[in-house]
Amino acid sequence: MKTQLNTNTPKTKVEKEPALKGTLASVLFLGFFLIFTWVSVYFLFLNRL
Amino acid sequence: MMNGTWKVDARDGKLAMAHIYVAFVALALGGLAGLLQVLVRSGKFELPAGISYYTILTTHGVLLGLVLTTFFIIGFQFAAVSRTAGTLSDRVRFWGWVGFWLMTIGTAITAFYILIGEASVLYTFYAPLQAHAGFYIGLTLVVVGSWISGFAMFAHYAKWKKAHPGQVSPLLTFMSVVNMILWLICSLGVAATVLFQFIPWSLGYVDRINVLVSRTLFWYFGHPLVYFWLLPAYMIWYAIIPKIIGGKMFSDSLARMSFILFLILSIPVGFHHQLVEPGIDPVWKYLQVVLTFMVVIPSLMTAFSMFATFEMYGRSKGATGLFGWLRKLPWGDARFFAPFVGMLFFIPAGAGGLVNASHQLNQVVHNTIWVTGHFHLTLATTVVLTFFGAAYWLIPHLTGRVMTKAMNRLAIIQTIVWSIGMIFMSSAMHFAGLLGAPRRSAFSTYGDAPQALEWIPYQIAQAVGGTILFIGIILVLIIVTNLAFFAPKGETEFPVAEVAEQAERTPLVFENWTLWIGIAVVLILIAYTVPFIDMIQNAPPGSKGFKLW
Repeated sequence: MKTQLNTNTPKTKVEKEPALKGTLASVLFLGFFLIFTWVSVYFLFLNRL
Repeated sequence: MMNGTWKVDARDGKLAMAHIYVAFVALALGGLAGLLQVLVRSGKFELPAGISYYTILTTHGVLLGLVLTTFFIIGFQFAAVSRTAGTLSDRVRFWGWVGFWLMTIGTAITAFYILIGEASVLYTFYAPLQAHAGFYIGLTLVVVGSWISGFAMFAHYAKWKKAHPGQVSPLLTFMSVVNMILWLICSLGVAATVLFQFIPWSLGYVDRINVLVSRTLFWYFGHPLVYFWLLPAYMIWYAIIPKIIGGKMFSDSLARMSFILFLILSIPVGFHHQLVEPGIDPVWKYLQVVLTFMVVIPSLMTAFSMFATFEMYGRSKGATGLFGWLRKLPWGDARFFAPFVGMLFFIPAGAGGLVNASHQLNQVVHNTIWVTGHFHLTLATTVVLTFFGAAYWLIPHLTGRVMTKAMNRLAIIQTIVWSIGMIFMSSAMHFAGLLGAPRRSAFSTYGDAPQALEWIPYQIAQAVGGTILFIGIILVLIIVTNLAFFAPKGETEFPVAEVAEQAERTPLVFENWTLWIGIAVVLILIAYTVPFIDMIQNAPPGSKGFKLW
């Protein structure tokens, strides 16, 4: 049987979050670049031990 | 903005412009010194008339690292607080002028002793290199002048708060206050070492200096100093660029939060400049490295916020796809283009910073020219291009002129020239540094050592890049002179962004100064007290002064 529980609750206005897919991709690229640089110099360090 | 003015009052504008003039004169002279340096370092040129490489190196560092930055920042901030929190009172303006003249006189004294060859100690003036006392006294006046200007800004902020109880202060004023608090707390370190160590030692009142204490006090100041340079660039990114592109700020709260994090975290981190230094227990180095990595967080927040601002704007203009919003940005507007390129350069700059701050990786690059390359990405590209971008609207706003299309085009070309020059120079510095080329050194083949010969092609690339950068300096000086004296009369906007509708309301807690300064002080005490006591209690006899030039 279908529940009736929600039928009388007032509808809350759901604010739309801005779409930030490009921002997500950009910060992921940024994070990748930081890690890549760090690891590259770390291997140089290990190489020279 | 509440109680702000559309236009900066002419009297406040004059104060701001006085600072900006000194900043650009410093750019001209310091830039010339930079050109001479890269030419000498290529091995193809020698300085005439027995001028020392280290004299011009010191000139370059002091004029660009200390004078250009401090003057531009204080001038910009006076304009920003006047624009957003209302015209300065006569009293605040008077003290602003006192600060300006003290800084200017101090700069002149310091520059004099550098140019007569009595102070070739580089801008970090490490002991036991000993300059003429005039060098240190001049620097003291610069710092004291900046304190007075800082207190003038605090007084203006306090007046605004009194007139607007329970209200959130204008963002640019808030940010200026944070930056000046940061500056005040950190410059206590350099003031202490100069007043209690360098001046008595250079005057001959004491024979010896505790080198480790002096370097620790310098870096207690020296790292937050880079944030003192960076935060005004962030002010422009957060609070002005969104308006220039026609969009809105992603979040006021996020901007304030990142500034508070800088205030708290950017000071107790100086040991990451001293990672190879004996006499500091590794535990304290480790603690400060951890804190250094925490300062990355507000910079990452800033990166996120900027991407989000740009994407929101682009999508509001109908952009589609993952990166379609990039096409909607105003690429032809130098007020946007120069700071944007500065932001891009901050990505490799930040990556290099993480390398510098990691103990093991620091051993690969410590005291190599990699560090100089890093520094030229952060300060000499990210910060400086943002300041140039700001000058393109700030100067005409303050002088009652407008930037012509031709000047805007020249400013775009200037940004491209700067970028090409810096890619050559800074990349070469990074690679040569990884091969072991030292910083702070004139040209030498070190007895034709094979390793030193490997560096030469990179040093020539540095000279090519440095020459292109000098052309960039000439271009920006043409633009600035035009905007200050020759551009057509008219009205230019001082852009201040509004916050996006969906952003949360800003909580007042960000202005609980007792809380934030309290946390900053506690962290400083935790990070520095024990190692500092150790340095004094177990100090070696100290060093006499050396003049090696």
